Amino acid sequence: MASQGTSLKSYLLTRLALVLPMVWILLTMVFLLMRVAPGDPISSSLGGHVPPAVVQEIKHRLGYDKPLLTQYANYLWDTVHLDFGTTITDRRPVTDVIKVNGAATLELTAAAMFIAVAVGIFLGLVAGRFRDTAIDMGARFFGIVIYAMPVFFLGFLAQLLFGSILGWLPTSDQASPITEALIVPKTNIYLVDTALVGDWAAFWDVFKHLILPATTLGLVISGIFIRLVRVNVIRTMKDDYIEAARARGIAERNVVYRHAFRNALVPVVTVIGLQMALLLSGAVLTEETFNWPGIGHSLIFYLDNRDYAAVQGIIVVFALIVVGMSLIIDLVSAAIDPRIRY
Amino acid sequence: MAIAAAREARRKPRLSRLRRAVAPIGDARGTARLMLWTGTLLTGLFIFLAFFAPVVSPYNFDQFQANGVRFDQLAHPSSEHLMGTTVQSTDVMSRVIYGAQTELEVVFMALILGLAIGVPLGVISGYFAGPLDRGLVLVMDSLFAFPYLLLAIVIAFLLSNTVGKGVFSAAIAITVVYIPQYFRVVRNHVISVREEPYVEAARALGARPFTIMRRYVFFNVVQNVPVIATLNAADAILTLAALGFLGYGLQPTDKAEWGYDVSRALSDASSGIWWTGLFPGLAIVLLVTGLTLLGEGLNETINPVLRRRRVEKVELGTPTSIVESEVGP
Amino acid sequence: MKEQGKWRVAALLAFVLVVVAAIGAGAARSAMSHKTAGGIIVDGTTDSVTNIDPAGNYDFGSGTLDYQIFQHLLEAGPGGLTPHPVLATKCGFRGNLKTFACTLRKGVKFHNGKSFTSADVVWSFDRVVRIKDPSGIYTLLSNLKSVKAKGKYGVVFNLKAPQATWPQILTTGAAQIVPKRVYPLKKIKPNSSSQIGTGPYQLKKFSPGQQAVLQKFKGYWGKPAKNDGVIIRYYTKSSTMKLALTRKDIDMAFRDFTPTELVSLQKTKGIVVHKGSGASIRYLVLNLKMAPTDKLAVRKAIAYLMPRQTIAKRVYHGLVKPLYSMVAAGLPGHIDAFKTTYGASPSLAKARAALNAAGVRTPVNITLWYTPSHYGDSSADEFAEIKRGLEQGNLFNVTLKSAEWAQYSDALGKQYGAFQLGWFPDYVDGENYLLPFYDAKSNFTSNNYNSAKMNALLAKEQATKALAKRIAFIKQAQTLAAKDAPIIPYWQAAMVAVSRNNVKNIGRTLDPTFIMRFWLISK
Repeated sequence: MASQGTSLKSYLLTRLALVLPMVWILLTMVFLLMRVAPGDPISSSLGGHVPPAVVQEIKHRLGYDKPLLTQYANYLWDTVHLDFGTTITDRRPVTDVIKVNGAATLELTAAAMFIAVAVGIFLGLVAGRFRDTAIDMGARFFGIVIYAMPVFFLGFLAQLLFGSILGWLPTSDQASPITEALIVPKTNIYLVDTALVGDWAAFWDVFKHLILPATTLGLVISGIFIRLVRVNVIRTMKDDYIEAARARGIAERNVVYRHAFRNALVPVVTVIGLQMALLLSGAVLTEETFNWPGIGHSLIFYLDNRDYAAVQGIIVVFALIVVGMSLIIDLVSAAIDPRIRY
Repeated sequence: MAIAAAREARRKPRLSRLRRAVAPIGDARGTARLMLWTGTLLTGLFIFLAFFAPVVSPYNFDQFQANGVRFDQLAHPSSEHLMGTTVQSTDVMSRVIYGAQTELEVVFMALILGLAIGVPLGVISGYFAGPLDRGLVLVMDSLFAFPYLLLAIVIAFLLSNTVGKGVFSAAIAITVVYIPQYFRVVRNHVISVREEPYVEAARALGARPFTIMRRYVFFNVVQNVPVIATLNAADAILTLAALGFLGYGLQPTDKAEWGYDVSRALSDASSGIWWTGLFPGLAIVLLVTGLTLLGEGLNETINPVLRRRRVEKVELGTPTSIVESEVGP
Repeated sequence: MKEQGKWRVAALLAFVLVVVAAIGAGAARSAMSHKTAGGIIVDGTTDSVTNIDPAGNYDFGSGTLDYQIFQHLLEAGPGGLTPHPVLATKCGFRGNLKTFACTLRKGVKFHNGKSFTSADVVWSFDRVVRIKDPSGIYTLLSNLKSVKAKGKYGVVFNLKAPQATWPQILTTGAAQIVPKRVYPLKKIKPNSSSQIGTGPYQLKKFSPGQQAVLQKFKGYWGKPAKNDGVIIRYYTKSSTMKLALTRKDIDMAFRDFTPTELVSLQKTKGIVVHKGSGASIRYLVLNLKMAPTDKLAVRKAIAYLMPRQTIAKRVYHGLVKPLYSMVAAGLPGHIDAFKTTYGASPSLAKARAALNAAGVRTPVNITLWYTPSHYGDSSADEFAEIKRGLEQGNLFNVTLKSAEWAQYSDALGKQYGAFQLGWFPDYVDGENYLLPFYDAKSNFTSNNYNSAKMNALLAKEQATKALAKRIAFIKQAQTLAAKDAPIIPYWQAAMVAVSRNNVKNIGRTLDPTFIMRFWLISK
């Protein structure tokens, strides 16, 4: 029953082999959903402005009335060749959308995750250390309420308070218009691009624009980390070696900081990977609220226009990222804990 | 005689099993107890509002006039409209109360559907293992790993034409997102329980698989479910609000929905009109907080009794969920 | 260990303090640096750009951008509605209404330094027709048989059928001039490659979905722009755009705020809401092959009950005007046909009489469709009012349904019995408000309206040269349209732009042509 420790290599191979079916399932699902959903990219861009006969003619010309199976076969073929095509709405190569907008989302989510981890770990550690005191209850309550707050509501309140009433911070976009006009995009992560060139005024401008969206998303997700870290700290504090350390006469503070905290943080790595799905979902809402030109924002735009090519391409990339991240996390966990392999 | 006695003997264990499962709630102490009761109160409040909406609410959710006189548009909170009015001259408080009905209706439907599909699938899959299990786990993991909001959006999109943009299609969109969760937790649990000596014994005695599953496995497993269900209900409300915010949710004329109201209120707030967005937003926060507290409280009280031994056989795909890692007091 | 802990906490606190201080300082500083770079107008909009290539777009966002970069042979406005020569110097019909010739302007240079000649004109029109882009822009040139160069600075258009409004067609987006060979004959030039036109601005940078950066073109042949450049910023939510405007992140915004936001902006210090006559309209299309709108009596009742004033006042706060004909007010030939036939305000008695006379049982069950975001969020409010208006006296029982644009635009008359649509003109002439709705051949609402009388009227209108006679036909068509009531118009919008009070001359570009001419604006 209990698994023997299989080698890391065979675990890795098995997991890799499973990536393909997972991605394939998601691809097919997206294809079907997009095709079966009513409306199509042509009507979306044309509708209401040209006679229906013209709409039909264009649809036929572009092959939207070919049998579903043919379209599906073409779709799979293209995907395997990593040819995600161009969007129908604005003729952008999908890889360009992913590169440019994906970078913006990366900037946002990385910053948000940083804040989530920092706040979450700090409060979680504190709550676990001072269990069942006012601090603990306060931290836990904060964690619960902040997670219960819809991202768009919190974002909007933040915009109102810091942007409108206090006027300290910008409330939308990645950078001020003129700054943005002058940036030379290399990585498309504006923080990096401005730093590379040494334009520190622009860097500061970009940084300021990042604060509200990243903090909003980060705070909401920190709720999860608070809970997790707290529980782990509590569990770790009960472990035998902590007792042993105390018995050896080591000061309580050292026991807590050196031993308990460090060990409590190990599963956090795992959880970060788990939160990818949550982070990306939250990113979509944050991007909509703050007009952040990320990939979630683009997805909503193309979805509204029934742009098959764009939506399929973006979701495939999402799927690959999520699957890839979970693979890495699992590998790391398996490397650390042999019991997890099969 | 003997048969009747045997039947009697069989009946008792079921009741006591149930009592055993529920008993810890009364024993709850400290923060767990506080959370449990606060959560129950909050959730209960909204359930009350949902059920008694027609009685409690001053106006209907789409009512724009009374006695032939139209309400003012975007009126400040006043004695007639405790939470003010919206741009369509409807009463905010009524929309919040009826919104509770909508949220709970959708979430309840989604929960029932999710449980009805996810739990049995998890039990069967975990118990029988083999290729069926591996296949299901693959599908479920694919769904689980995917950003839930995108999944819900795409499905809500699809259903909005075939099923219509109603309560049912929103519920289905949310169900699909949460089935994998129930499935995974139940399945993992079943796998660990499956190897228990008493299950082995039952098998040795020749009990049929479904009997075993029903009698031994199910009750053990089902203790997990209320915790997950409440936490998932909390998440589901956030998902529904997010769908409403993005515009993929319900038909706004059919039902009042908090997320949609917040999205309409965004443009109001920069004009200094805060009441159209604040109250629906607060409602979301309160209800979700209530459900989460309830779930957390349940988790703290029920779990120690379970003392699930974690067989370190992690299933394919992503690591175990949070709930499972919170073992012990 | 203790000391380490203390240091860590201290460091963390210090870091936080520094960040907060820096934000405060930076906020004060940047108020001076990047925001008000003199001479550059920053404009916000909720439109989006699909393709910059004029042969590949038929939407407002792309059109607005194109208008700054490219030019036409003839253009309408600012102010007046009659097309006047821009890249041409003289144009006119030769003999009949099927041949139209233009003399071209000499000395015009494209942004790449090349000279403008007739070859570019022929190339531009040929490619639009050749490419047949899915946006449908080529349909505007459906009456073009051929275009030929006559020497280096002359061009002749041969039409399939006589069309008095061909000059107006030359002012549309289908007729913008691009340099030969730089724009492929058979393909659309992608947004990521440089765009070359003859206009007052050069496109310096384009970040899809984010911004377009326009720089004043030094070699422009005409009067130079009144500013050094324009940055167009693209927003998805008007609330974010409003915050940006009040925070001085942008100087002005054109399209589209919600009515509530506009009312609030009107009251905000430092902000001016500019209104000019507009030409976009909103109407309710009725399906002649679906119950209950297949009955004339039902359509008449709706016409009697349409709550135009309530919509204009309550939903749009006076920023739209009740509209009584599909031909927009302010255009030559406009008459208030619906006012004449059905009265200015809703009349419950007359509606009831119409229904009773035809023996229609009340309440009539009807489903009204609208699209919730394509035309702005207020569509929902608009239709709430229409529902309330129709349900007066229990004459109608209205069910409201909505669908997102992508699905909605596909369905229209094929699936819906009564639905919302909006229109802004391709060119400013009554004809452009009649043909797409009432002519059986070009009707794009799919509402199955096919009246032999109307078809004949419109055919005559298109073939008439004399303006006065044409206007007479336009008036007749409107009267007939009101009688048959297949479509019920209800409002016409003003052209609205909002700016900070240091922005001048916006009023000059607000006219029925609905074109934003940034080169007239200064700070």
